[in-house]
Amino acid sequence: MKKSEWSDKQLEELLRQMPKIEDHRNPRDIYQNLSIKKRKRTAWLIPSFAAAAALLLFFILAPRLLEGTQSFNSAKQEDVRSEEKISLADDKSSILNKNEEDGLSGAEPKMRMTEMNKTAIYDDEVENGKVITYWVPDSQAQIIVPISLIVPQVGNKNWLTLFTESMGLLKEEEWGLTDYYPLDASFELDETNNTVIVDVPSDHKYGQGSTGEKIFLDILQKTIASNSQVNKIILKTNGQPGIEFGNYGVMDELEVNPEGKHGYFLYTPDGMDTTYHVPSTDTFQDINAAFEAMKTNQAEGGLVASIGPFFQIKEVSIQDNKLIIHIDENTPMENNLETLRSFEAILLTAKEFGVETIMVVNAPIKLLGPFDLSKETKVPLAPNHRPIE
Amino acid sequence: MDSVFEELYQKYHHDVFQFLFYMVRNKEQAEDLVQEVYIRVFKSYHRFEGKSSEKTWLFSIARNVAIDSFRKQKGWKGRLLEKFDWSQSQIKDDYPIPEEITIQKEEIKWIYQCLDHCTVDQRSVVILRFLNDLSITETAQALDWTESKVKTTQHRALKVLKKHMEMFRDKEGLESEEVRVER
Repeated sequence: MKKSEWSDKQLEELLRQMPKIEDHRNPRDIYQNLSIKKRKRTAWLIPSFAAAAALLLFFILAPRLLEGTQSFNSAKQEDVRSEEKISLADDKSSILNKNEEDGLSGAEPKMRMTEMNKTAIYDDEVENGKVITYWVPDSQAQIIVPISLIVPQVGNKNWLTLFTESMGLLKEEEWGLTDYYPLDASFELDETNNTVIVDVPSDHKYGQGSTGEKIFLDILQKTIASNSQVNKIILKTNGQPGIEFGNYGVMDELEVNPEGKHGYFLYTPDGMDTTYHVPSTDTFQDINAAFEAMKTNQAEGGLVASIGPFFQIKEVSIQDNKLIIHIDENTPMENNLETLRSFEAILLTAKEFGVETIMVVNAPIKLLGPFDLSKETKVPLAPNHRPIE
Repeated sequence: MDSVFEELYQKYHHDVFQFLFYMVRNKEQAEDLVQEVYIRVFKSYHRFEGKSSEKTWLFSIARNVAIDSFRKQKGWKGRLLEKFDWSQSQIKDDYPIPEEITIQKEEIKWIYQCLDHCTVDQRSVVILRFLNDLSITETAQALDWTESKVKTTQHRALKVLKKHMEMFRDKEGLESEEVRVER
C-alpha cells in the first residue's frame, strides 16, 4: 500500500477548489430583515421601563393602600349610618312627591330624573291655562330667545290681554337674558281685520340704533306670529299712524308671516347653567336639511349644534304628520341631559315642519328622561317653559 | 435601500457569506450571521477610520460575529453541562453537508470535514487565505495579528488537515483492500 504524504501545495490547491457557497436571498429582503432586527434589539427597553415604573409606583402606593383598607373599614360603618338617614329622607320625599305631582305620568322618584326635566311645554302640562310665548333678546342682543309661560286662563280674556298682563312677570335678567318686557306700548286686537294695533308713546326708545329697531320689529312679528293667527300689525305713535325709526324711517304697518321651517339650536347664556332651545334665523327647505344643519354650530349669536354624535340619525321619513326617525344602531346614545336636549330640539324642529308626533325606531335606550322612546311622542306646544309665580 | 448597504453588498456580500459559511458550516446560521455583520457595520461605520481596507475591516467584523455565535450557541447552560459531562465534548455537530459540497470529488468532501478538526483561529486563517484569497498581510490585518502569527497558524492548520486527510485516505485504502479481499 502506497503511503504518499499530502504536500502543502496539494492541500492549498484543494482548499482553493472548494466550491463557492452563495447567499441566494434577495438583497432587498436582507435589508428589510435588517431594519426589523434593529427594532427588535430595542424592544426590550420599553417593557423594562414600564416594569420599573410599575415597581416604583407599587412601592409608593403600597403603604397608602394598606392605610386605605383600614379607613375603608371605618368608612363602611359611617356608610351604614348615612344610609339609614337616606332611607328616612326617602320616606319623607316620597310623601312630598305624592302631594306635589299626581298628574305627571312616568315621573319616577329618582334623583336624576329631577335634573332631567323636559324644557318645552307639552299639552298634558297646560291643563286649563294658556301658553304664551315671549321672544326675549339675549344679553348681547344678538339673538332672540323664545320663552313660554303657562298663564292661568281667567274668564274670557283673549290671548293679547293675557300677553300684556303677563309681560311684567318675566324675569329676563334672572334667566340670563336682556330685560326687555314689559314693552313700552299698548296693544289692541282688531279681530275683524285680523290685525294687532301697537301704539308706542312719543318718547319711545325703540327707534334708537339699527339693532334696537330690528330687534323690536322682529320681536313684535315673532311674538304675534307664535301666539295668534294675526297677519298684520298696525304701528302707531301716541295714537297717530306710523312709528319713526332711525334707519327704517316711518313705518305704518308690518306684515306677519306664519313662523315655521326653522331648525332649533342650543344657546347657553354666559355663566348660566340653563340651556335654551333657539330657532335659527334661516329657514330650511325640508326637515332633513334642518337636521343636517343642527349638527354644526352656527356662526351667529353663539348658537350651538343641538344634534350631537350621540344621536346619529340614519333615516327620516314623514307619514301623515308623523315623523319616523331611524337611529343608527351604533349610536352611543345614553339616557342623559345632552341626549334629552337633542331630542327636544328635534321635537321642536319637527313641529316647525308640521309634524304632530314622532316615533323613534332602533333607539338603544328605552327611556330618555321623562320620554318613553318606545312610544310615539307628541311635539311640544312651545319651547323653553319658564314657570311663573 | 441604503446606499452604504448597497455598496457593501455589491462588493463584499458573497465573500463575507462564504467566510461565515465555512466558519459555521451551516447555511441558515450563516444567513443570520451575515445579517448581524451588517448591523454591526452600520453601528460602527462612522468609526471606520480607513486605516485598514474596507475589506479586511469587514472580515474582522465577520470573524468576531462568528466567534460570538459559537459562544452563544453553547450558552451558559451548555458551558455548565460541558464542565460535568465529558462525553458530550466528544460529540461533534453533524450538520448536513450542503449539496454544493456533496457533488464535488472525494478529496473536497474530505477536506471539508477535516476543517472541523481545526481550531477557530486555524480555520479562520485557512478560509481567509485560500478560500477568500487574502494575502498574508491582509489576513494579518483582518485578524489583527502579526504576519508571523498568521504564517505559523497557517502552517499548523495545514498540518492538522494533512493528518486527518491521511486518515481519510487510509480508511479508503482499507475499504478498497477489503473489496479486493472479497473478490
